[in-house]
Amino acid sequence: MTNPPNPPLPGEPPMDDFDMRAAEFVLGTLDDEERRAIEAARLADPDLAAAIAYWEERLAPLADTVAPLEPPPDLWNRIEAQLPPVKLALTSRETAPHRLAQTVAFWRGTTIAALALAAGLAGLLLFTPRSDLGAESYAAAIVDQQGLVPAWFAETRADGSIVVTPLAKIDRPSNKDLELWALAAGAAKPVSLGVLPAAGRYIVPSGKLGDRNHLKLLVTLEQAGGSPNGEPTSAPIYGGELVATN
Amino acid sequence: MLDSKSSAALDDLLVRCAAGDRAAFRRVYDLQAPKLYAIALRITRQSSLATDAVQETFLQVWQNARHFDPKRGRAEAWLVGLVRYRALDLIRRAGREVLGAEVPEQVDQAPDPLEQTALAFESEALQRCLAQLDPERRRMIELAFVDGYSHSELSTRLGVPLGTVKSWIRRGLEALKRCFDE
Repeated sequence: MTNPPNPPLPGEPPMDDFDMRAAEFVLGTLDDEERRAIEAARLADPDLAAAIAYWEERLAPLADTVAPLEPPPDLWNRIEAQLPPVKLALTSRETAPHRLAQTVAFWRGTTIAALALAAGLAGLLLFTPRSDLGAESYAAAIVDQQGLVPAWFAETRADGSIVVTPLAKIDRPSNKDLELWALAAGAAKPVSLGVLPAAGRYIVPSGKLGDRNHLKLLVTLEQAGGSPNGEPTSAPIYGGELVATN
Repeated sequence: MLDSKSSAALDDLLVRCAAGDRAAFRRVYDLQAPKLYAIALRITRQSSLATDAVQETFLQVWQNARHFDPKRGRAEAWLVGLVRYRALDLIRRAGREVLGAEVPEQVDQAPDPLEQTALAFESEALQRCLAQLDPERRRMIELAFVDGYSHSELSTRLGVPLGTVKSWIRRGLEALKRCFDE
């Protein structure tokens, strides 16, 4: 063992425990439990945050010795899929035309993708029983704003009801609900089809719907229990359009 | 490496992320993901774990961007910290000892980081202060930071008793602190 090249000077105080723990946290040598505790505490403790930032700032250049490497190409999609639903503007002050404009913008982006998905999914599922032959049947993929993530599959049954089947786990804030709406071709206002359950299929009774063909299905984020006034209070975050499958 | 201008741009992007700007978030990803992925891979030595670490890091960036304070330090340093903590979580959980099949060759052949840093560092202070440390002590600090070695892994790898590892690292950190603050 060699002598330390930088012995503490006589009378000089060593780093205090607080600073040493911040340094060891950044270096990565604390045990797991302590590391996680410090990382959580950092968000609420400005002194700790500053002590950690001091060491992160000074040691980070060591990481420049690692040559950058392209991550797997699907990584961004994985990250994006986990982001919370797009934050909706406070809409109580919004005018109806504004909401309608948002709805129109939404459709511009999603319809083509949704139609393609609906056709593909309907073909895959082959859900229509033989007894339905002759009756018109319709299906829709209800997708996110980018048209990338199919969230539900909607399909009419022979009795005229619509079965809405979740295709993915949809996160929603604990105090909010997702409400399903139908917007008929040419109609100005959507009609509520009820609040979607957190899990499992949802069946819309036949009486609630008019002409199925090209009926748009929209999903908005609403207060728990659904919109208080029978109209969407926010822009749609998912949508799809029913198209004939036979 | 980012110069001070692009470093400031990254700070600005994080401020915009805190305000919910997804385009800014995507830009941070484009700018930083290759660097963060490489850091995570160096620590986890497995691409699936490194991918998970980067994914968790960016979700954390989105959620916690408001906690980033440009006055305290550069955005890059904050991001490097986040991805290292996530990578450490993952290897301690998965047990790195049994992994290693996907270690890129260059990792084992990597020279002492200090030699590379002579070319790459923007931080003269770190280079100067590390150079003042006893080489063995310096190597411990580099292995801990860059490769995510725990005290016990350092002890095994360098053949030094565990207690000695701990006290050398602490003295090394104290020496760095004195040097940084000079």
